[in-house]
Amino acid sequence: MAFSTKEENDSKFQKITRFPRELGELRFWSFVLVTVLAIYLMYVFALTEPVQGLTDPFYSPTILVLPLVAGFRATCYAYRKDYHRHLFSHPIGCSVENFNKEGEVNFPGEKVGRPYSGETGIFRLENLHRYFWYAAVAILPFFYYDLYLAMAYRGEFTLGVLLLILNTLWVTLYTFSCHFFRHLAGGNVDCYSCPVNKKSYRRTIFNRISKLNGHHEMFAWISLASFFLVDLYIRGVAAGLPINILLFRL
Amino acid sequence: MAEKEIELKIMRQDPETDKGPRYENYKVPYVDGMVVLDAVRYVQEHTDPTLAIRWNCKAAKCGSCSAEINGMPKLMCKTRVDTIGDKITVSPMAAFPLIKDLVTDVSKNWEITRKIPMFTPKENMEKPWRINPKDVEKSKEFKKCIECGLCMDVCHVVREHYTPYFGPMHIVKAASWDMHPLDGVDRSKYLNKEGGLGYCNITKCCTEVCPEHIHITDNAIIPEKERAVDLQYDPIAMLIKGIRKKEKVMK
Repeated sequence: MAFSTKEENDSKFQKITRFPRELGELRFWSFVLVTVLAIYLMYVFALTEPVQGLTDPFYSPTILVLPLVAGFRATCYAYRKDYHRHLFSHPIGCSVENFNKEGEVNFPGEKVGRPYSGETGIFRLENLHRYFWYAAVAILPFFYYDLYLAMAYRGEFTLGVLLLILNTLWVTLYTFSCHFFRHLAGGNVDCYSCPVNKKSYRRTIFNRISKLNGHHEMFAWISLASFFLVDLYIRGVAAGLPINILLFRL
Repeated sequence: MAEKEIELKIMRQDPETDKGPRYENYKVPYVDGMVVLDAVRYVQEHTDPTLAIRWNCKAAKCGSCSAEINGMPKLMCKTRVDTIGDKITVSPMAAFPLIKDLVTDVSKNWEITRKIPMFTPKENMEKPWRINPKDVEKSKEFKKCIECGLCMDVCHVVREHYTPYFGPMHIVKAASWDMHPLDGVDRSKYLNKEGGLGYCNITKCCTEVCPEHIHITDNAIIPEKERAVDLQYDPIAMLIKGIRKKEKVMK
């Protein structure tokens, strides 16, 4: 049956899953391989200097603190959902299955799932998300500085500047719609109007961040895609393509 | 013109007499606006009175008629036939022990509920207790829970694995007390240590199937996880909480 007794937990589960088995699977290692290759290529084909005033978001100063940025994304609740589903298949989707591999009815079956430790084993590290968030907030001003540089470079507002503004906006929205920030700003308060230690302003902040937080997953993926697109765009500009179109002079 | 029919496949098993489960096929005449519960009840009334089903209000409020319909946990009374086609498979909730056919034993839920520390008012509160309506908004969302068990059924941790995880329905229950403005107990540490909160990997299926549209993951599970981090994993938060506690004692 689905609910298990303490004895079942002890005998069937707890001992074998301290190190998640999925970390030994090909699907995980193929992902690691692609990631390592991508990081290697970023170092080999680095774009460390601004091109026509445009600084590649990957190198400002993200490349220096890549583990922090990667850690922020890897421990984010939005990405956790996606990689637990699509990388580790725990579960693949929400539909439920009552057939075994041979196609026979398997209900109410034995538990057939692979060993699983969720976020109790090595994934307990995901609880450090808040420290990565602090780092992300510290990095954020650099994006705004790059915006200033891009606009001040020739006193022109170009397509590249517009893309950098959008990129900075997505990153800011992603950072401040974070579940931890929602918790920090007011989620950890239960009584905002209690006579002792009144915190009504925190309720307002909490409600506003909750609205943003509803779109956190969207911000997470758009900001990531934006990073790659802006990187490609700036590489195109560096290669001499006439795509940094002048929109107006400042 | 022949009347339109639904092909209904229902999982049947009486654990006392049958070796294993089997699916049986039934034909049910289609009526405009009918829900899956209507079709299942038609089978019980006209074709096979031995079919066991559990239902009560037929208004999506009692949480009795939960089942797996075409592979998704849903309320039979809330699922319109015209939204899922004329070939329908109905199975009982696999996360719970089977009693017969579509009826499952959900009594374990009440055992777990009894384990969670109940609402405990803060100390030294002046009577009568007063609450600003805005302050109960957070915990009020969880009061919509009809305890249908669909979130428990879809949760892969409860369904597929041997873990001590209480399940989303119980985290919602605990969160409703934890976030109550007059409650003085923090259950997050208990939930993490005894309730297996760490086994939840935030895949949000519980939120997807909730018929009351409670944001189970975002508003109950993640806040409880963050509170548990405050108390167990974050040294800075633990230090601040420790100092505040000391200050309170000194006062």
